[in-house]
Amino acid sequence: MSLYVHIDRLGSAHRTLIRDLRLEVHPGQVLTLMGPSGCGKSSVLSAIAGTLASVAEGQSALSFDGRIELDGQDVTRLPTARRGIGLLFQDDLLFAHLTVADNLLFAVPPGPHPERRLAVEQALTEAGLSGFGDRDPSTLSGGQRARVAMMRALLAQPRALLLDEPFSRLDMALRAQFRAFVFDHIRTANIPAILVTHDRADIADPRYTVDLGHAG
Amino acid sequence: MSPHPGWVASLLLAVVLLPLLSVAWLALESLNNPTAWWALWTAPQTVSAVALTLWTGLASTTLAWWISGWLLAQGFIRHRLAGMTRVLPAMLATPHAALAIGLLFLVAPSGWVLRAISPWLTGFEFPPPWPTTQDPWGLGLIAALVLKEVPFLLWTAATQLHRDDVRRRWQAEFSLAETLGYAPDRAWWLVVWPQLAPRLWWPLMAVLAYGLTVVDMALVIGPASPPTLAVLAWQWLQDADLAANAQGAAAGGLLALLVLVTGLGWRTLMWASWRPLDGRRGRVPTRHTDDRTGRAGGVWAWRAILLIYGAIVLALAVGSVSGVWPFPAMLPEVWTLQAWITVWSSASTVTDTLLLAIGSTLLSLLWAVAWLELVPRRWDSALRPLLYLPLVLPGVLWVVGLYGLVLWLRWEGQWAGMLLAHTSLVLPYVLLALSPAYLGFDPRYRHLAESLGRSRWDFLWRIKWPLLRHALAASVAVGFAVSVAQFLPTLYVGAGRWNTVTTEAVTLAAGAQRSLTGAYAWLQFVLPVLGFALAAWVGRPRRFTVPST
Repeated sequence: MSLYVHIDRLGSAHRTLIRDLRLEVHPGQVLTLMGPSGCGKSSVLSAIAGTLASVAEGQSALSFDGRIELDGQDVTRLPTARRGIGLLFQDDLLFAHLTVADNLLFAVPPGPHPERRLAVEQALTEAGLSGFGDRDPSTLSGGQRARVAMMRALLAQPRALLLDEPFSRLDMALRAQFRAFVFDHIRTANIPAILVTHDRADIADPRYTVDLGHAG
Repeated sequence: MSPHPGWVASLLLAVVLLPLLSVAWLALESLNNPTAWWALWTAPQTVSAVALTLWTGLASTTLAWWISGWLLAQGFIRHRLAGMTRVLPAMLATPHAALAIGLLFLVAPSGWVLRAISPWLTGFEFPPPWPTTQDPWGLGLIAALVLKEVPFLLWTAATQLHRDDVRRRWQAEFSLAETLGYAPDRAWWLVVWPQLAPRLWWPLMAVLAYGLTVVDMALVIGPASPPTLAVLAWQWLQDADLAANAQGAAAGGLLALLVLVTGLGWRTLMWASWRPLDGRRGRVPTRHTDDRTGRAGGVWAWRAILLIYGAIVLALAVGSVSGVWPFPAMLPEVWTLQAWITVWSSASTVTDTLLLAIGSTLLSLLWAVAWLELVPRRWDSALRPLLYLPLVLPGVLWVVGLYGLVLWLRWEGQWAGMLLAHTSLVLPYVLLALSPAYLGFDPRYRHLAESLGRSRWDFLWRIKWPLLRHALAASVAVGFAVSVAQFLPTLYVGAGRWNTVTTEAVTLAAGAQRSLTGAYAWLQFVLPVLGFALAAWVGRPRRFTVPST
């Protein structure tokens, strides 16, 4: 269940952002990708998730040459929906037109309704939000919303998780809490994860850290 | 900006609300006439006219709604929206009547479609006696309405999707749904569409109201005996008999009721049709490229619509210079400029059209900008339904009220009366077109300008309006097009003394003068298109000269 990323070149027609990047992440491990803003670290995540084409509509589109492997399977040409790679963004991106529970239910794979409901209830409890299911997401606090977003990503049973500065919008106290929450769940789910950040305090494991500012 | 904002806002409100409410009041007052209602109830054509109205209005609205949603899905998923919306202004500018006349030129028994396949496929040496011009089932009317309303709905959706904050967020939510395993089209229908659809509620109601109450299009391509209720009402309103006039007003009231009931019904259905999430992901394409660049039905459907529009414009143009034109030939045998010479000899029709359109649009723009700039947001959202009244009330009922007001002001057949009539219908559209961009303007710009010591006027003239140039120009073009396309108020309030290209085209469409009809319909099409082209040029983004690096 390892994630293997090999990027020969990533950029627009005019500008190369990343060259010769090789990453290997094992299950339960969180690899941290560091670098100043604009160095292309978020684009690396888009390339892995397969959403690169939608990143810059209208402007010069980004593209990459290389190969993404998950569990030994080449997923480079797979559409995003088939990759089984979850994403957590800087913004929680809870769907504004759905309740908290429906946001979670949206992620649960198809199956008998009671079981899917149960999965949602469990996720809410784990996030310390039982009883919040019927709420409008906008009535939740920032920390609560962030936890819902994380549980939603996990409920889809991803094979890998990409974290795009998910802590940067939270204040200091919440940040440490949510960080622990995220890393714990990744270990429990035993899936590989890549974290993009520009804050050294976010580093999950100093042994697995790639600094694009120096490497690129 | 020294006057108290509440005072200015009240003044702005009074200027528009007084005439608006008096028109509405006069229209409703005409309904307080039991004899007229009884006459309407017992009139032999009423029931079938109501049935036809419901059928054509609901069928066209439903079709337009789902085709728009589907096309938007295709455009959004494949990143083709920008390309699709580029041609919308020209389609939007096409007046309803011109479109109906052009469609008639295509599908009539002697139209281009049959000419193209005769006699080699059909064996016809003469136009067949088919009822395709004003078919009794209203299919032509439905087709014309759908063709006209799809671009309108797409365009209102695009104004939402073009807001950077909204688009980026929906794009991100859409990608996120994809990372959860949802196929692109499922992601669209479950995540983006449910957030977009409620914002299209008022435009949708305008489409529904229009479909149920349209007169000019129905006169051209709708069923004739029995006609739709709106056409029936219009015929009664034009009758010399006062009792028939009252009956026409009552029919207008009935139409308003139909709009209200179907609107509420639609809303209930929308609520009821929301199904709980079952987690099904939909059929995900196997390859990454399939869902992004694959040629899907949506692209072809969109091209088909473009093709029909192109054919319509061409048919009008060729029709306007056609002389003798025997049946299966694709092009006329004799070409003539006679129709255009006739148009030229009554040039006042064109200048009146232009002056009315420019006058009513400028008034509307001035008012709309002042309203959006000065009036508290609370007032605005509370009063919007009232301001959209002319859009939702049936045209036949609105002109009754307008006529009442104009009579009272002794402006009947006068320039001022015409200006009032047109402005009352242009204003809601200008407001509708301008609001999303104007209200979505980032308030931090103003704070920034103020922190730099700039006055409000400085900020408006040098920052806000230049930045909103595109939206301002576009709303002017919309207003202009709406005014050019007006049929009922021009004829009714103008007391027959005013002719515009639209009244000429619609009136002529019933006759046999193909070339003159084509000429006026073509003018009716080309004037708004020029307006939109001018707006696009004025509103074009500033080009910076980039030093080469």
